[in-house]
Amino acid sequence: MTASVNVPLNSRGKIAASLPAEQLAEITALFEFRRTGYSLDAPFYTDPSIFKIDMEAIFGQHWIFAASTAELPEPGDYVTVDYGPYSLIVLRNDDGGVNVLHNVCRHRGARVLTEAAGSTGNLVCGYHSWTYSPEGNLIHASAPGETKFDKSCFGLKRAHGREVAGLIFVCIADEPPTDFDETAKIFEPYLAPHDLSKTKIAYQQNIIEEGNWKLVMENNRECYHCDGHPELACSLFPTWGLTEGLIPPHLEEVWNRNKEAQSSLEERCRRYGLPYEVVEQLDTRIAGIRISRESLDGDGESFSADGRRLSKKLLGDLRDFRLGRCSMHLQPNSWFHFLGDHVITFGVFPINEHQSLVRTTWLVADDAVEGVDYDLEKLTYTWKQTNLQDKAFVELCQQGAGSPAYEPGPYMKSEYQVEAFINWYVQRVQEHLA
Amino acid sequence: MIELLTETAIQEPQRIRGLEMPWNRVMGSTETPARAARALGPWHPQEFMAECVETIPEAGAMMTFVFRRCDGAPLAFRAGQYVNVAFPVNGEDQEPVDRSYSLSSSPTEPWTFSITVKCDSTGLVSPWVHENIKPGTVLEMLGPVGAFHLPDADRRARYLLLAAGAGITPIMSMMRTIHSLPGHADVVVLYHGSDAGGFAFHRELAYIASVDSRIKVYYSLGDRSIPEGWEGLSGRLTAAMLEEVAPDANGRQVYACGPEGYLNTATELLKNVGVDDTSIYMEFFSGDRQTLLEYQAEVALAADVAEEIAEEIAESAEDYFEGQPAAFGLYEPGYDAEGTLQASGLPLEIVGPETPGSDPSADSPGGEPEAGSPDASSFDTVGTGSFTMSFMRTGINVRIDPAERILEVAQRAGVRIGANCKEGMCGSCKVVKLSGEVEMNHQGGIRAREISAGKFLPCCSTAQTDLVIDA
Ligand code: FES
Ligand code: FES
Ligand SMILES: [Fe+2]
Repeated sequence: MTASVNVPLNSRGKIAASLPAEQLAEITALFEFRRTGYSLDAPFYTDPSIFKIDMEAIFGQHWIFAASTAELPEPGDYVTVDYGPYSLIVLRNDDGGVNVLHNVCRHRGARVLTEAAGSTGNLVCGYHSWTYSPEGNLIHASAPGETKFDKSCFGLKRAHGREVAGLIFVCIADEPPTDFDETAKIFEPYLAPHDLSKTKIAYQQNIIEEGNWKLVMENNRECYHCDGHPELACSLFPTWGLTEGLIPPHLEEVWNRNKEAQSSLEERCRRYGLPYEVVEQLDTRIAGIRISRESLDGDGESFSADGRRLSKKLLGDLRDFRLGRCSMHLQPNSWFHFLGDHVITFGVFPINEHQSLVRTTWLVADDAVEGVDYDLEKLTYTWKQTNLQDKAFVELCQQGAGSPAYEPGPYMKSEYQVEAFINWYVQRVQEHLA
Repeated sequence: MIELLTETAIQEPQRIRGLEMPWNRVMGSTETPARAARALGPWHPQEFMAECVETIPEAGAMMTFVFRRCDGAPLAFRAGQYVNVAFPVNGEDQEPVDRSYSLSSSPTEPWTFSITVKCDSTGLVSPWVHENIKPGTVLEMLGPVGAFHLPDADRRARYLLLAAGAGITPIMSMMRTIHSLPGHADVVVLYHGSDAGGFAFHRELAYIASVDSRIKVYYSLGDRSIPEGWEGLSGRLTAAMLEEVAPDANGRQVYACGPEGYLNTATELLKNVGVDDTSIYMEFFSGDRQTLLEYQAEVALAADVAEEIAEEIAESAEDYFEGQPAAFGLYEPGYDAEGTLQASGLPLEIVGPETPGSDPSADSPGGEPEAGSPDASSFDTVGTGSFTMSFMRTGINVRIDPAERILEVAQRAGVRIGANCKEGMCGSCKVVKLSGEVEMNHQGGIRAREISAGKFLPCCSTAQTDLVIDA
């Protein structure tokens, strides 16, 4: 589902061109002399100009995860997605596709839809009631005395939207990167068996973290800090991210348990025809991805203390609850856990250089009944706790980046994915500025 | 002839997703289960007389007795349930002896029904039953009873059916039911018996398994010595055996029926292979005092309900279906009356503590007139026209002709309804209709869901009847 864009929104390097030459040279140098294997210099997390560049080069050019099918199941359902200076309306249309519209009235610019989610017919601006069709065409504007008012010139600006395996992505670039097709081909077979089209939202949590969006994504790419997640440690093996040879003696036993669990998970995956291999292309493609299916500790079913299922209804046509977690990290702004009994989606929406909205959504089978098939508190417990802990970690780093004493530090071996993410980021921006 | 014997590759049938009992479709398609039940007959327990019409000897000292209700009605039940039968063991003039027997037939063939009785030579009732019940015998029955049954609708329909000895009877009903229905299902049956010639229904089982690719049947010969040529499994139930027949038992619903010892072992083993206890359903064919008491209580409850219903029928046959006893949840349909959750767009959380789940009460559709709301007959009436519109908030009755647009007439009469486009596009005039019919010609200003919630756009609507409007 690709929408036509009627007005160019971003020409390459627009913001860059608007910066004073001296400042641009400084920023370009920061990217150029970024020290490989080390965390970024402070301005990447604190400088509003770099944030603007991020918005243009990363969020303005790439496919962004916006929502899942469960958030807009029926025609007329919509969510509004805000990041940086942008606000988008993602609307389920009557043909079952999604329309993506800039949430900026063509009269005097008011936000057209003000709710985070809802259901609507035509879109009516609250200010002077300009009325747009779900496709964004201006269909009504009361115009007493106007003689030469041509409604067809004032449709809402459109952006691109597409849905893959129940995940909805948006792109505000004139020409979205085509590389996403290949990435979609990678993850589609992993996710399809969980059938997101037959899920519903059990809970959605919005947290504002006082941290740059990159810190949020970086934090998610390593488990070096996982000691700080006691709830998660119950189901996630504490050896996550380590490889043979890196295992400290006190984790030897866990490592063996992990290996055993992984091999029986892989056997089940082969039996049911589910892909599980690790695909890791974080900095080798435009739509950077890492996906795999990995075993969980305990009973291996879900994110509970004992690894048991948290919802009693299996998703899609899955045959077994012991499917571990299929986890996907998708650049620039999302990660996901697909389990036999539920799915958790995480979207990061930057607000400014030091604040980010992290939206977490728990999905269960649409015929699962709260209180009967799942207990909402139990379902959401592990990741609510983990999210708060991660928020604190991110905020500690943001504070650090603001200190004159801060200087980039080395990523450790187990943090190689953070390095890959940063490498991807630096490459993407440099290519845009070039 | 030759051609018939040639094996040709035949494709799998194409099926809808999941299993659904035929009555469930009726239930889902009408307003209340009670009203729908009228179409197929109720399955709350009743007391009725039934006539034996056929007796079929089965392997393993079992006998199937086919009955039909004397009143000609079908017997509605769920696959796996049982009936309680009064047997005049000591003669017609003595107190009969009650026994419960699982139904072995399928409820999708409701005009006759069967029980299958194993003859226990040391018992009081079963030898008498085998000896005395013949076509023509009429017995008093109570049923259906029991919570051990297939769900009314199941889009996953993956089952592991475990049976030992006579425990095959309710399992047989389940298998016959699934076999008779279209839809995706994945059924593994593991049937334990004590000797090779003693597996009741084995021919029908073999037939079903051979023609229905959804159903697999495994036999195991308990702990007895294995005769020459035996092709099934051997030995008592073990975790290894469960893994062998159903390596995905973890994701199945398990129905198990048999003697207490067997079921206790099964409970233990199922837990070992990761089956959640809420996915295990059991029917005890023998048991300790506690189990027996539980069954007695179940039958007694069924008898109470049956009596209550009989009274209601006597009082008013019309109302009887509307007024089902609510207390007896066992007999309610197994679907969720609530729709799916909508995206609720929760407020932003700035700091740590959880915001309590906010109530997305954007607008509650259908807005009923509140108790004690004004009575329209006391309102002033203005205008002319063949229909009357009562505006409950404004407190006025406005007459209107069928050709006039509701918004114009209402606004002229002083009813305040915001309106912008007046063409059914912007939705700004949307109001709730409490009763009556309108004809609406909108242009996208309202969605089907809102219309079904009672809303309409007066700018592009005309009145078809008298109206009561929440404005
Ligand atoms: S700003 Fe939207 S109608 Fe005026
Ligand atoms: S006034 Fe716009 S829909 Fe009625
Ligand atoms: Fe973390």
